[in-house]
Amino acid sequence: MKLNIDNISFAYDQDYIIQNINCSFVSGNFYSIIGPNGSGKTTLLDLISGFLNPCNGNITIDETKVLSLSKKDISKKIALVSQDYAINFPFRVKDAVMMGRHPYIPRFSHPSENDLEKVDRVMKTCGISHLSDRKINELSGGERQRCVFARALCQDTPILLLDEAFSNMDINHTLQMLRLVKRSVREENKLVISVFHDLNIASTWSDVLLMLKKGEITAFGNSQDVLTQQTIKDVFDVSSIVEFNEHAKAKQVYYPSI
Amino acid sequence: MVLFSLFLVMMILLSLSMGYIHIPMMDIVNILYGKISSNQTILENTSATHLAVIFDVRLPRILTCAVVGAALAVSGGLFQGILLNPLADPYTLGVSAGAAFGASIAILLNLSAAYVSVPAFAFTGACTTLFVVIFLSYSSKNPMSGLSSNNLILSGIIVAAILSAGISFLKFIANEQVSVIIFWLMGSFASKTWFDFIAVMIFLIIGLFISMFFARDLNLISLGAKSATSLGVDLKKVTIILLITGSMMAAICVSVSGIIGFVGLLVPHTIRFITGPDNRKLLPLSMIAGAFLLLFADTITRAVLPHEIPIGVLTALTGGPVFCWIFKKNRFK
Repeated sequence: MKLNIDNISFAYDQDYIIQNINCSFVSGNFYSIIGPNGSGKTTLLDLISGFLNPCNGNITIDETKVLSLSKKDISKKIALVSQDYAINFPFRVKDAVMMGRHPYIPRFSHPSENDLEKVDRVMKTCGISHLSDRKINELSGGERQRCVFARALCQDTPILLLDEAFSNMDINHTLQMLRLVKRSVREENKLVISVFHDLNIASTWSDVLLMLKKGEITAFGNSQDVLTQQTIKDVFDVSSIVEFNEHAKAKQVYYPSI
Repeated sequence: MVLFSLFLVMMILLSLSMGYIHIPMMDIVNILYGKISSNQTILENTSATHLAVIFDVRLPRILTCAVVGAALAVSGGLFQGILLNPLADPYTLGVSAGAAFGASIAILLNLSAAYVSVPAFAFTGACTTLFVVIFLSYSSKNPMSGLSSNNLILSGIIVAAILSAGISFLKFIANEQVSVIIFWLMGSFASKTWFDFIAVMIFLIIGLFISMFFARDLNLISLGAKSATSLGVDLKKVTIILLITGSMMAAICVSVSGIIGFVGLLVPHTIRFITGPDNRKLLPLSMIAGAFLLLFADTITRAVLPHEIPIGVLTALTGGPVFCWIFKKNRFK
């Protein structure tokens, strides 16, 4: 499966948030998008998921335009863990996770054995089985984020978009979820695109890094090639030291204390 | 669900027997059975007065009242779901103000001689208001802000405020008809006909079907626009369809019976404590509970109190304290 972004731009009014972006994403790879606040990371994900329509340019999945698909068809191809994981009504955790099966359950019918089994299994792997009967709006931020993550996994899509999906999780759960994602990339040939703020986690876990600045791509390539003192200086305007770390088996970034 | 339906049937029977002329419960069951099975011998054995009282006076009123309560409750549930706000009710988008404005014009122009014109004007007013509000809050560019709950509520309030001023002006120039307008606005089920019942019933059936069709999508809307879209909900389409459905149900209710507040706010909110937020259970149960509550209130004003008081006042007076109690109790759980 190949996700192709062909010269897209996007603006709410006059100012472009995304400008002339060209790139392609291929199954079996873990991509990370990094960049400063307001650089268009979330907007790029929104454009890919079909939530926003680009002003010009095309996004295609295996030659099919995303915008030509119905919302339901897109939801069978692309799952999104977004930053707004607030839920307005007190749904129980298992019902909220079951919502991930929405695209597959016909109207007026109940979830099938397969759906129930799937939800059960995903909740176990995400470590939220014990929260099953709790109300979702009474959980902590990190717990709720894991529920949303589980919901996206239940959607069972070849493409998974993560928008700072780990921002409220503790390090233990972050690593658990990352292992889960990495395994699905390796074993099930999924395509994962994730927005990160932590450059070290992005470097350790992803195959390809995409650096965004003011809506334009400044670097796109193998994580270990892209991450250098110069690119970090260019994109984030901070000085740093970048060196290979034995334990992480990847480049890590260190910042001066003053 | 079954239990609530049973309550409603019992309430209808009880309500039929109560009134200026008391009719024993057994007679009512007999008459209804006779009518349904077209058994002439039973019908001939009962008094003509009782027959007339039941079929021409009480039954139309009771059934109209029940379907109006039902439609208002379903509509309220829909609005709370779409606007993500437990304080929303069927009138949030200004439908009631639109209907009231339409009705006031009809009354002022003295069109009420032609039987249907007041409800017809009210209905037209309600629909026009709805489309103005949707037009105001619609934006094709940005799906995050277009038709968002804040935009809708704000547009609703602005339009309703303008219309209220309009109604005040109409009252001001209405002279002796001002009392007619005021009484119409307060709402009543007195002298409702089978026609009223059937009109509301049709809207209720269609409205409930559409609501149930989109009930699961409505559940997903509570996850926020982005998540709902990524789960395959066509947000713009579902929002508009459900807004129109909810408002149409509210509009027909207001046109038939005047402005009855509180049912649409209180019933879905209370039922949510029982069923949880799943609209597939919430909406049907709200429908039955709404019918029950409004019928209960109407029976009290019609048959128990010495003088009929406006139904809108009574729903708030009876439902309000119950609501307070449930609200407080659930706060501390």
